[in-house]
Amino acid sequence: MGMDLMKSIKISAAGMKAQGVRLKVIAENLANADSISPVAGGDPYRRKVVTFQNVLDRKLGADMVKVKNIGTDKSAFREKYDATNPAADANGYVKLPNVNPLVELMDMREAQRSYEANLRIVDVSKNMLTRTIDLLRS
Amino acid sequence: MDLTKLPLFTLMARRMDWLTQRETVLAQNIANADSPEFRPRDMTPTSFRQMLDPALPRVQLASTNPGHIEPTPQARAFRDEKSKHVYETALDGNAVNLEEQMMKVSETQGAYRLVTNLFQKQVGMLKQAIGRER
Repeated sequence: MGMDLMKSIKISAAGMKAQGVRLKVIAENLANADSISPVAGGDPYRRKVVTFQNVLDRKLGADMVKVKNIGTDKSAFREKYDATNPAADANGYVKLPNVNPLVELMDMREAQRSYEANLRIVDVSKNMLTRTIDLLRS
Repeated sequence: MDLTKLPLFTLMARRMDWLTQRETVLAQNIANADSPEFRPRDMTPTSFRQMLDPALPRVQLASTNPGHIEPTPQARAFRDEKSKHVYETALDGNAVNLEEQMMKVSETQGAYRLVTNLFQKQVGMLKQAIGRER
């Protein structure tokens, strides 16, 4: 029985790890929100997206979560007229990354919320484990 | 005297087993709160009789030949199922609602606390009956 509680802690740890990767990618996107191409008319930074997948861990016999892959957002780049910019193409337009800080912030909040929920599970499981051990003291 | 032979203690141990397993199932749901196409699970409700008598819900295979292999006991004593009624489903097909899950977690924790307290009380009463200072 005690092993089962350790199991739930491990599952939550997997969830926290996945959310951590997600947060890392969000930080990457936000940091590069203004990264334009070094060459004239080239493509700027492309937004990255994380997808999750639930996998059955045979050893634990539980549905764990892991990062499936880190893909790229295929949406179009923003364009701005700035003829003096070294990255501008022949018509004077500069391609800007397809990162929307607002979307990233929302994503960040979601990741934080999920992380906190996982952390709470660890807390509760630990509490239940302690209570079981405390039965020895009665 | 074997404490586990007392029906009350058996009942409490089974209840704790059930709650522990529910905690694991809820941990799975929350870890997968952002996995596409994931549907949350929960334990199937148990009845009083089922809790009291561990042998009741299982149907044993009859072995009529010495060559028959005994089925291995199930790793999980209780059953869980996909939740049928969920609060909402996200666009990516994920039906985990964190609030709903957290509520279930609190419920589980409270029930577990109740069982452990009852256990301690019961042991205390037994000790009192024996006549030894606690």
